[in-house]
Amino acid sequence: MQSNPEKPTLLGRSQAARPLRFQIDRQTVLLLGVFVVLVVFFGVRSRTFLTSRSITSMAFQLPELGVLALAMIMTIISGGINLSVNATSNLAAVLAGLFLVRLLPHEATPDQATLYVVIALLLMLAIGVLTGIINGLLIGYIGVPPILATLATMTFFTGISTGITGGKTVTGFPDQVSVIGSKTLAGIPIPFVIFVIVTIIAYLLLFQTSFGFKIRMMGANPTAASFTGIDNKAIIMKVYIVSGVFAAVTGILVMSRTMSAAIEYGSTTYVLLAILISVLANITPGFGNVFNVFMAVLILQVLSTGFNTVLLGVSGSSFFKDFSWGVLMILIFVINYFLQGRKGQQE
Amino acid sequence: MISKILKTTEFSVFLILVGLCIVVGLINPAFFSISTVFDTLRASIVYFIMAFGLLPIVIAGGVDISFVAIAAVTAYATHKLLSGQGYQGGVTLYFVIACALGVLMGLLNGFLVNRFKLIIFNVSLATYTMWYGFNLFFMGATQDFNLPKDTVGYYGNFILKANDPNVGETGLHVSILYAIFIGLFVWWFLRYTTIGRGVYAIGGNRSVAIRSGFKVNRIMLIVFGLMGLLAAVAGVTQAFLSRNFNPVIFINEPLDVLAAVILGGAAITGGRGTVVGTVLGVLLIQVIRRALIMAGIPVEWQRLVVGLILILFTSLPALNERRLRRMGHVTEITTEAQ
Repeated sequence: MQSNPEKPTLLGRSQAARPLRFQIDRQTVLLLGVFVVLVVFFGVRSRTFLTSRSITSMAFQLPELGVLALAMIMTIISGGINLSVNATSNLAAVLAGLFLVRLLPHEATPDQATLYVVIALLLMLAIGVLTGIINGLLIGYIGVPPILATLATMTFFTGISTGITGGKTVTGFPDQVSVIGSKTLAGIPIPFVIFVIVTIIAYLLLFQTSFGFKIRMMGANPTAASFTGIDNKAIIMKVYIVSGVFAAVTGILVMSRTMSAAIEYGSTTYVLLAILISVLANITPGFGNVFNVFMAVLILQVLSTGFNTVLLGVSGSSFFKDFSWGVLMILIFVINYFLQGRKGQQE
Repeated sequence: MISKILKTTEFSVFLILVGLCIVVGLINPAFFSISTVFDTLRASIVYFIMAFGLLPIVIAGGVDISFVAIAAVTAYATHKLLSGQGYQGGVTLYFVIACALGVLMGLLNGFLVNRFKLIIFNVSLATYTMWYGFNLFFMGATQDFNLPKDTVGYYGNFILKANDPNVGETGLHVSILYAIFIGLFVWWFLRYTTIGRGVYAIGGNRSVAIRSGFKVNRIMLIVFGLMGLLAAVAGVTQAFLSRNFNPVIFINEPLDVLAAVILGGAAITGGRGTVVGTVLGVLLIQVIRRALIMAGIPVEWQRLVVGLILILFTSLPALNERRLRRMGHVTEITTEAQ
């Protein structure tokens, strides 16, 4: 078990004047260091890596996984886990997609189409809330362990998408859907803007509200939390609703970029990647730094794009990123161990 | 003695399994046939073997997902190595090389966990990603259907043959013997060896296990080595049963195997779990898959039903525990309760 140096300051920090800033911890410095090293390495090795085109394409790709990881960390900080995040985002995309394809009249004016798209997006967020309620009921009120409950709902949500679509990918959306996934705002890709906004929302929720304080309290010690008068069940319910909504936002990003809604998009791999990002960002029950999540996502994307440009022409080059992600994770674990000064040794 | 058995989680899983079979059998009498039994067992073999490898880790209080990657890499890399040499012999050499690789890969997990005091799940997530990436980039990204000449007959190597009125001649593959043998071994290992008892002790309370004199690091290494070994057996067996080598085999299935182990009564927090329960957990998931087809539920709705059944099966024990706690009947389940 890792010892956590922040433990004693938990109460003190939150009761203080709540300064609006990102905390910098050792993991942040470590991740920033890794990020700089990687950018310099790939920048030197490849001529195409630091071009505006490659940076823009990275900024379009990474938000999906980033927002999904934020959906994951909300639950991990609360002491749980949500394996159903990707199933939720696909379910939201599939249902909203069917809504658009089946109900939007063919002779609709652009204004009408925009209205329908806005309704579809709201529908997706509502589905996020609904899936969160189901998870919250199972985990908070019935008492199923989070990993089992969300494993079951993962299958269940994917089952709904599969049943309704008959396993087929939903396509044929009005052009307005693609605005989010392909346009830029003042030169910055809209998905990236959304990722930044969701990151800030996650930060504010976790560190600037009493709700966030209760989440961290419960994650650190659920028994102590309930003795201080926190209603754990209600907090769990809200956490999984927030997680569901974030997952639905991922669904919006995916649907808008690919202009389709596939039941199996990302599959288990995306769920595990979201957990991998949380681990890389050193998110543990009760503790975590949202900025680290942001850095972890950036690093994974830099590794992925970087090796793709460096290994251009080598067969199967796109698979090298998975290998590098795993190796990087182990390296960071080992570096962390030595930085910690071997505290927490039991033998 | 009997009343003790009746109260175990294993027995309730067993009842659910029997109940499920009866219901499906009533809907479609063809479910009660020798071919259903053989098919279910055949589909379960590799999951039995992987689950037996995972079980000791779960009992010791960890969650590992990298065993699927170990299964994929050991089988695929062994095949690349041997077919590169023009090997045309039987399956034995495949198993020997893959098992050696599997043990090493399992030990790597164990070494990282022990040496750097890491959380098992985090390490396994890293090695899971790393090994699949390794397989796809360094070994190859395509399915390989070219098997050595002498291994082709292995596919039809049955220990039992029977005539089924619906599907004709059907057989039980020889690899079920591996699963039985491995199951017996793990059962004996967990129940009658000091190391096995140590696994329960670590999962029950790690500090107490250390103070009682269990060599925790050594036990964890052995458990991880065993997991790697069994993953390799499962990987090679699966390749010969499906008659091809797939670099990403099982990539979406680590959580399903984990679910089977947990459904079978192993505690995710460690300290509790049995081989019998694991067998029932794996069978339950396989029977559900088969039962839905036999019960005539359309293919596209099957996953939804599986999800509902999983929600039901995970909620029932939780509800039951809440009821008992309200009545004041819950006592802490100790390591010795088995």
